[in-house]
Amino acid sequence: MIDFVQNTIDGVMIGSSYALLALGFTLIFGVMRRLNLSYGPSIMIGAYLGTWIYVQAGAGPLAVAAAVVLGAVLAGVYVERLCFAPMGFAAGIASMVSSFAIWMQLEQAAILVLPRHTYPFPPLATGAPLTLGPFLLRVDHLIMLACALGLAAGVQIVLYRTRFGLALRAIIGNPTAAHLVGINVKAAVLGAFAAASALGGVAGYLVLATDQQVTPMFGMWATMKGLIAMMIGGLGSIPGAVLGGLLLGVVEVHSQWYFGPQVRDLVAYLLLFVVLVVHPGGFIGRAPGREGTMPEQRA
Amino acid sequence: MDDYLIGVLSNIGVISFVALSAYLLLLTGEISFGQQAFFAIGAYSAGIATAMWSWPLSAALVFGAATGGASAALVGLPTLRLHGLYFAIATLAFAEMVRLLFELFQYQVLIDGELVGPNGADGFRGIRYIFQNDISALQFMGLIYALLAATLVGFLLLERSVLGVSFRMIGEDSVLAQLQGIAVARHKVLAAGLAGALAGIGGGLYAHLTTYVEPRVFDVMLGVLSLAYGLIGGLGTALGPLLGVLIDIGLLESIRALAGYRMIIFGGLVALLLIVRPRGLLDERVVHHLGRLWHRAWTHMRMAPR
Repeated sequence: MIDFVQNTIDGVMIGSSYALLALGFTLIFGVMRRLNLSYGPSIMIGAYLGTWIYVQAGAGPLAVAAAVVLGAVLAGVYVERLCFAPMGFAAGIASMVSSFAIWMQLEQAAILVLPRHTYPFPPLATGAPLTLGPFLLRVDHLIMLACALGLAAGVQIVLYRTRFGLALRAIIGNPTAAHLVGINVKAAVLGAFAAASALGGVAGYLVLATDQQVTPMFGMWATMKGLIAMMIGGLGSIPGAVLGGLLLGVVEVHSQWYFGPQVRDLVAYLLLFVVLVVHPGGFIGRAPGREGTMPEQRA
Repeated sequence: MDDYLIGVLSNIGVISFVALSAYLLLLTGEISFGQQAFFAIGAYSAGIATAMWSWPLSAALVFGAATGGASAALVGLPTLRLHGLYFAIATLAFAEMVRLLFELFQYQVLIDGELVGPNGADGFRGIRYIFQNDISALQFMGLIYALLAATLVGFLLLERSVLGVSFRMIGEDSVLAQLQGIAVARHKVLAAGLAGALAGIGGGLYAHLTTYVEPRVFDVMLGVLSLAYGLIGGLGTALGPLLGVLIDIGLLESIRALAGYRMIIFGGLVALLLIVRPRGLLDERVVHHLGRLWHRAWTHMRMAPR
C-alpha cells in the first residue's frame, strides 16, 4: 500500500513534466490545427545551449534556464518560419513532414556542436528529499509540479482573459474571418509559436535539471511524451494537457513497478491507442468531428 | 557492378516497398506513421520461416506478405472511424507497440548447435537463406526489382481500375464517396490490408538482404521517412514514392563527403521543396501534363503518314 501511494506520488511528479511538454504542444495544435514534430528537437537546441554555457563558462542555474528557453524559442521561430508560415493553413501534411525534416536537421546540428553522447546539466535543487510520513518528495519534483500547474493556469488566463488570447481563439475558430476583422494572423501565430517554445523550454529545463544530463535522444523523447500526454488528455484543451500528462506519469510508474521498464513504454502506447480508438477526443477534448480532422480535409 | 552499388540499389528497392505502402494509404486520404510495423512483422515472419522452419524463400515472402497484410487489416478495423491526425497518431502508437513487443519477443531453437531466432532487443541473427542457397547479391537485387516492377504494374492497373478510382474518391471526400455508393469501410480495410502486405513483402526482402533484423530499425523514423518519400516524390503517381526514395538514399549516399552535414542539408532541402511543391515533385498536375504530352506524341506518331 505504501509502495502504491509512493508510486502514485512519483507518477504525478514525473507526469508534471509530461504536462509541461503537452502545454506547448497543445498551444501550437490549438492555434494551427497542425502537429509540430520539431517541438522536442527545438527544446533540445535550447538544452544544448544551456549545457554549453554551463560546461564552458560555468553559468549558474538561472543563466542556464534562460539559455534553454532562449534557444528553444529561437529554434521554434525558425521552425515556424520554415515549416508553417510559408504553407498557410491549407497544407497540414506538408507542414508536418517538413517539421520532421527540420527535426533531423536540428538533431544533427546539436550533435555537430557537441559530439559527445551525454553532457552534464546543473541540478535545480540538491539536498535530501522531504519526508511526509512514510513518503518521500523530491524538492525539484515539487518545483516541477508547481510550475506545471502555474503555467497551465497562466496559459488558460492568457487564452481567455487577454486580447492576445482572444485573437488566438478567433484564429482557432476561423483564420480567414480573424484576418478580415483586423487580426494580424501571421504575427499572432508566430507569437503563439514563440510562447509554446518558451513553455517547452521551461519544461525541458526542469526535466533536464532533474535528470542532470542531456543526450541527443532528448528531442525525440520530448516530442513523444508531449504528444501522448496531449492526445490522452484531449486535443486543444489546457486542462486536458495537464490531466493527460499526470495520468501518463502515474500509469508509467505503476507499470514499471509491476512489469519492469520494458513494459513501461509499451503500456503508454497501449493507453494512447485504446484512448484514440475508444474515445478519440481524449478525456477532456472534443470528439473528432470535422474539427479534429486535418485542415486539408476540412476544406 | 561493384558490391557497394548493389548494396545501395538493393536498399533503395526494399525501402521503396514501405514508401509505396504509405503511398497507398495516402491515396485513400489517410496519413500513416505506422507502416514500419508491417515491415517489421513481414521481416520477422519471413525470417522465421526460412531460418527456423526451413521454408523456401518464395513461401517465406508470401508468408511475410500475409502476416503483414492480415495484421494491417486487423488494425484497420478499430481505426476505421479515425481520420487525419487521429489516424496518424493511432498508427504511430500501434507501430511503437509492435516495436516494443519485438523487443520482448523470444523464440529460439537449436539449429546445427546454434541458437537461431528472435532474441528480444538483441534482434534476430542468422537469416542466411541466400548464402545457404548460393544466391548472389546481384541475383537477389534482381529478385527485389522484379517484385518491385510487378508491384508498379499492379499500381498502374489499380490507377486505371474502378477500385483505384474509388480509393482516390474516398481520399478526396469520404462522405461524398459513400453517397456515390462506394462501401467506404470495406475499401479502407482493403487498402490497409494491401498496404500492409506490401510492407510485409518489403520486410521479408529486407530480412534476407541484411541477414539480421533488430527491433530498433523499425522505429518512428522509418515510418515518417516512408511517408515523406511519397510527399517529396509526388502524390500523382506510384513513381513518386520511388523518386522520393531515390532522392533520399541516392542523395545521402552521393553527398557522403559532407558526412556530418548530411542531415542538415537534406532536412533543409526537404523543407524548402515542400514549400514550393506541397504535394511533391510528381504531383497530380505534373502527371496529368506528362500524360497529355505522351498522348499527343502517341497520336502524332500514329497519324503521321507512312
